[in-house]
Amino acid sequence: MSVLACKGARLAIRLLGRGGTDLPGRVALKICPDLLRQLAKTVTTVIVTGTNGKTTTSRMIEQSFIDSGISYFANKSGANLISGITAEFAMHSTLGGKCTCPYAVIESDEAAFKLVSKYVQPKAVVVTNVFRDQLDRYGEVTHTLDNIRIGLKNCKGAVICLNADDSLSASLAQELDNRIIFYGVNTPIYKSRVEEVSDAPYCIRCKSEYVYDYVTYGHLGGYRCPKCGYSRPTPEIAVSEVLSSDTECSRIVLDCGEKTYETTVNLPGGYNIYNACSAMAAGRAMGLSEPVVAESLSKFSCGFGRMEKFEIDGKSLRMILIKNPAGCNQVLNFLTDATEPFLFVACLNDRAFDGKDVSWIWDVDFEQIPAMGELLSGVIVSGDRAEDMATRFKYAGLPAEKLRVIKDYGELCKACLAQDKPVFIMPTYTAMLELRTTISKNYGFKNFWE
Amino acid sequence: MELKICHLFPDVLNLYGDRGNVTCMQHRLQWRGIDVSVQGVSIGQSLRAADYDLFFIGGGQDFEQGVLLKDLVGDKTAQIKSAVEDGKTFLAICGGYQMLGTYYKTWDGDQCDFIGALDLYTIGVKERMIGNYLFTCDDLDGQTVVGFENHSGKTYLGSGVKPMGKVLVGNGNNGEDGMEGARYKNVFCTYSHGCLLPKNPALADHILKTALEHKYGRAELEPLDDAIENSAHDYMERRLRAHGK
Repeated sequence: MSVLACKGARLAIRLLGRGGTDLPGRVALKICPDLLRQLAKTVTTVIVTGTNGKTTTSRMIEQSFIDSGISYFANKSGANLISGITAEFAMHSTLGGKCTCPYAVIESDEAAFKLVSKYVQPKAVVVTNVFRDQLDRYGEVTHTLDNIRIGLKNCKGAVICLNADDSLSASLAQELDNRIIFYGVNTPIYKSRVEEVSDAPYCIRCKSEYVYDYVTYGHLGGYRCPKCGYSRPTPEIAVSEVLSSDTECSRIVLDCGEKTYETTVNLPGGYNIYNACSAMAAGRAMGLSEPVVAESLSKFSCGFGRMEKFEIDGKSLRMILIKNPAGCNQVLNFLTDATEPFLFVACLNDRAFDGKDVSWIWDVDFEQIPAMGELLSGVIVSGDRAEDMATRFKYAGLPAEKLRVIKDYGELCKACLAQDKPVFIMPTYTAMLELRTTISKNYGFKNFWE
Repeated sequence: MELKICHLFPDVLNLYGDRGNVTCMQHRLQWRGIDVSVQGVSIGQSLRAADYDLFFIGGGQDFEQGVLLKDLVGDKTAQIKSAVEDGKTFLAICGGYQMLGTYYKTWDGDQCDFIGALDLYTIGVKERMIGNYLFTCDDLDGQTVVGFENHSGKTYLGSGVKPMGKVLVGNGNNGEDGMEGARYKNVFCTYSHGCLLPKNPALADHILKTALEHKYGRAELEPLDDAIENSAHDYMERRLRAHGK
């Protein structure tokens, strides 16, 4: 009955021309709260959680499933709360409540994970990292870690993939009886890094200051506590070398113990090297063929605002979703590698899914953007809080003549296409949805749930 | 003229973009040809309060608070207290604001003692007070200030301390008495993140002027073109007055 209601609700919403990734699940859960447990019982599931990189990592795992000939489903469009996840299971079930698909790749919001893991018993869990994120919702970064800890304790028997380079999430290992696969990056990634606030300068166990052998970005890297001895565990799956990286992709060497694989990560940016490494760990946890997984990293496509590329009238627009200082600083690290002039656009909204507090833009090293000089043709700010973003750029040292405020998305797109440089657009979540809607309506791109 | 800014615990009390306040003060001085230096003083480093004209303290998270309180005991507390009494200018936000008070009591009764430079105290509650908010500032003839509050502590002022102003939309100090922030001598305390000073340029200049006047007797600040800053302030004021969030 609730499966039927869920399917009906989604169909109705789609017919009305809206996404419908969340509401149908809410309808179904109202009718049968235990629905998710029943539907997930027969499905072999991998859950991806953590602050940054969930969606990209999930897409990489999906590609490895496709290339391994596995039939699966996934919660595609960022519906990663209990309602959206329930809806996804229901859509792949018979009306009798039997799931018709043997495998699932599920991205779970890190706060929702403790609830989702009560109902879904995964075969593998990937924790990407823990960063400061949307603090108006979670309070502080250690609360996020606590939520993930509670969730992992629900996952008896699952293989847990943890980021060795993140002192916060790696610390969860000692409290778990599960098989743990640590993954990490053994080498610095960026030639020069933006100035960042560390989200975890003090030891999670004894509160002494960490010493670092190297930093990849944020608080990630080779840390150790001089007082209690807590240190980066040796990763079982490691990126041992970054051979090259440009604005299209990175070439890396993956050291998986007995074998090493040279492969291409089909998305630029150092943080995607981490995502690739975690997808490789997930492959091992799921028992997939390693050469197949390594190869799949060069083939996957992500879209949905994760370095998503639009070609309109011969002009290139790349959309890079931003959620928090750590993610945003990584985008800046990526942009400062650029060798050709570009136009930069930032769209800042402050609705529930974006994070209601925009203070974090002051923790981002936007000073790097004006410092690019001639490579930066200009900056356009947009979104509900465009004025805050404009203020940020003024204090970052951007000359007034290079800064424009355009709040209307239709006008924004026109301004992007009226010039000849490639455009990098950095929207927050709801700004990205609106911007994609504008682009699909005005220039004929497909809708996000397809 | 020159202003020496001390940023206290910049690596620990840095939770909500508060360092933007320091960036803002630096630029607003530089744009007027006034020299400025910023020195961070953190855990394990000694503080010579006499070396500075203006102190900034931001907000932090509970996890590091224990480390910080241990460091504060003794000399740092004495230095901060005497700087306050000497009329040095302070801007303290959220956790930094609470720390200048006498103590913090958690909702289940644990008490930790703070610096005690200001006659005020904070009681923890379970429900956080979160959101954009709007208040008047008595120092600015009732001009409004916009910001974002995010605190689970309710702060109550003693008799020697005045509020910074009155809450128009939001919770402020405790969600009960309609007051926001604290003023004592040249100390400015508020719960406002946002980041506070960039989009409240009149308050930024008032704080800078207070510090310069204390040092040089008198100081005039040339007006700046604050069109962008004011547009950020006005957008939020309009929205809060119309929708309350």
